[in-house]
Amino acid sequence: MEVAPTISTQGLSRRFGELLAVDGVNLQVSPGQFFGFLGPNGAGKSTTIKMLTGLLAPSAGRIEILGLDLEKNSVEVKRQIGVVPEGMALFGRLTGSEFLNFAGRMYGLDREVAAKRTGELLDFMQLADQPKKLVTDYSHGMQKKLAMAAAVIHGPKVLFLDEPFEGVDAIASGTLKAMLQRMIARGATIFLTSHVLEIVERLCSHVAIIHKGRLVAQGSLEQLRAGVEAQAPAGAGESAALAAGEKLTLEQIFLRTVGGEQRSDPELSWLE
Amino acid sequence: MAGIVVAPESKVSREAQLTAIVWLRWRLFVNALRTKRGQLELFSQILVSTAFAAVAFGGAFGLAILSYVFLSAGKLQMLPVFFWIIFLFWQVFPIMATAFSSTPDSSDLLRFPLSYGSYFLVRLAYGLFDPASVIGGVWSLGIVVGVSAAKLSLFPWALLVMLVFVGFNILLMQTIFAWVERWLAQRRTREIMGALFVLLMLSFQLLGPLTGHYGRRARPGLQHIVEVITPIQGFFPPGLAADSIVQAIYPQFLPAISALLLLCAYALVTGYALHFRLMAQYRGENLSEVAAASNAGKDRRLQRGWDLPGFATPVAAVLEKEVRYLMRSGPMLFALIMPMVMLVLFRFGAMNSARQAIPFFSRTPALAFPVAAAYGILMLTNFVYNNFGGDAAGIQFFYASPARFRDIVLAKNLMHGGILLLEAGLAWIAVSLIYQRPGFDVTVATIAGLLFAAPVNFAIGNLLSIYSPRKIDYSKFGRQRASQFPALISMGIQLVLVGIGAGVFWLASYLGNFWIATLVLLAMAALSFTVYRVILNRVDGLALERRETMVAELCKA
Repeated sequence: MEVAPTISTQGLSRRFGELLAVDGVNLQVSPGQFFGFLGPNGAGKSTTIKMLTGLLAPSAGRIEILGLDLEKNSVEVKRQIGVVPEGMALFGRLTGSEFLNFAGRMYGLDREVAAKRTGELLDFMQLADQPKKLVTDYSHGMQKKLAMAAAVIHGPKVLFLDEPFEGVDAIASGTLKAMLQRMIARGATIFLTSHVLEIVERLCSHVAIIHKGRLVAQGSLEQLRAGVEAQAPAGAGESAALAAGEKLTLEQIFLRTVGGEQRSDPELSWLE
Repeated sequence: MAGIVVAPESKVSREAQLTAIVWLRWRLFVNALRTKRGQLELFSQILVSTAFAAVAFGGAFGLAILSYVFLSAGKLQMLPVFFWIIFLFWQVFPIMATAFSSTPDSSDLLRFPLSYGSYFLVRLAYGLFDPASVIGGVWSLGIVVGVSAAKLSLFPWALLVMLVFVGFNILLMQTIFAWVERWLAQRRTREIMGALFVLLMLSFQLLGPLTGHYGRRARPGLQHIVEVITPIQGFFPPGLAADSIVQAIYPQFLPAISALLLLCAYALVTGYALHFRLMAQYRGENLSEVAAASNAGKDRRLQRGWDLPGFATPVAAVLEKEVRYLMRSGPMLFALIMPMVMLVLFRFGAMNSARQAIPFFSRTPALAFPVAAAYGILMLTNFVYNNFGGDAAGIQFFYASPARFRDIVLAKNLMHGGILLLEAGLAWIAVSLIYQRPGFDVTVATIAGLLFAAPVNFAIGNLLSIYSPRKIDYSKFGRQRASQFPALISMGIQLVLVGIGAGVFWLASYLGNFWIATLVLLAMAALSFTVYRVILNRVDGLALERRETMVAELCKA
């Protein structure tokens, strides 16, 4: 029996004036997948994730999350998803504890549960040391951890993360990864965008690549690798590596897919 | 030689940097016109500027004529009055009308290799274009014209004195903003300021009966006080500026030069106080609650959020968040106590003008409470007409959460209503202390007036908050650009509401029965509350429709 996708889009497009930022994207993310959404700068990743989370209206197309039409059931969908958007969506003049408590209650948790989960999350994220510190005074990594904590406080079935590891140190990154893996283990679906391809390769089971607004690849890492190898032969350097039995890395798959071969940059006159 | 070539220090000229900053401001202005909202802002700016220009040139013309007339008639003692008017306007108006202040935050430029001198100059230059500075400057020029028309040979001296006076005022305005921001930034200093304010208010408990006593029975005593105060004012900058010109008329050059030098000394001391603050900013000072918080220790108790019986959980959560934001925002708290400050100022005015006409509130104390309450609503517009300004990037959280915008806005309005209630209560106490206890009928009529005016303001404020949002930093005072369009609309709404309220109160006063005002205002309150509910119920759809603008505007870096 075919399982209904957790995230599904049909012909999803978004136009900003003359610019078609997202062009007819058809995404399929199955339940329990750790899904990486990749693309070069300006490819349409953030625009897509904003549309998937209701922060931006599509110009055309349809979005279904957990089998529900996002446009018609936005409140019900939002109740079941967690989001860490580009700007982290924090309230700077609350303390971390107050913010998590607030977030929990905005997602409908009662006061007892929100308070209990706040305490647990602060401990797990190692943010409990300075309970009176305002969010605005947190370091970037601390803010990322807090945003992540707020996104999971209500136990979402789907988690959308826009660049969750950007600007995060190795320790904080380890904490975040541990939490995400716990979420996957309990059956959640995670959709993330990231420029750090090594992390995506290590965490994600499935990947989609968007380039100039169009979805150019989608599937498991193995499927993508096979597709890329079938389309174009490996370069000289890559051939040597592959001959030794190594697989194409996600970075190599990505570069071949979006056509981003190493180019010879023009010289900068003051850096000669 | 190979390597990175950095521009030598000598080549980073101040002129080039200042030119670049002027260019930056110009490009920001031009680029803002690309959107309809930017064009609307420009239109509002033109309207506001026209109004300010009328005030500036009208006032300057009046001051020029008055200076000429009084100086020609030999009534030189009137000159200090004009200088005091300019001085008080210059320093008080920017604090009262923060919505119309448009001083950008110069600290954004500190990432560049800007010298401290350039930073100081930029801060002053930004302050130069503040409406109060422009109006004050033009008024000062009016006095120069009047004095010169009365005695042409005085022109160079009057101009010199005026330039120093203008420079002093610009420095003082920036110094006040910088220091008030500093004091309001942290809980301890904020509490000290609050305590001082309460002491000031309580002192009127004694001052009220005292002035009343002198006013009724011992007017010569009060006259004596005024006679003592008059020469004292001569030691303060407005008095010194006036004295320097008056002494030059006689002509007594030594006293004239001495007064001018003393004025220069004031400017230098003020400049030093400003330098003290700006240097701290330049060195990267972070005004936050951290210092206060670090002593708080580790609090591991489970803290439940607020409960608001009868309301949905998100309403209680947002209300709690709004109250916490307000309590941590010194500048906003400061704005809210302004109605009480105005009552105090009016009382001072009453004392100073004891020899002149009887002041307005002393003649009609019954109206002091309604006027103070109306002014309370005016100060509230800072919040009401830009509901989401302080949320900044947090707006994304609202959109991503399943909470209804109706509940979010309702919570914000509940807080606004609470503030208004508190303001009205404080105003009632202040009026009781400073003037006389408002009558029961006046109190009830005023509450009815608030019940009418508040829903109108909330309804229109909610719409404007969605249609014209602007990110604001609750921790900054006097160095962020307010949105002119909502400020203009809110001013128009206040004028209409105050006009209606004043008409109703006048009618009731004329008929000698304030209960008539209560009935009329309650009927209008029912109507305004209906309008409020209709708009509140449409907020979800409007917010969804405007989500892109809201997110883009409030998440700006």
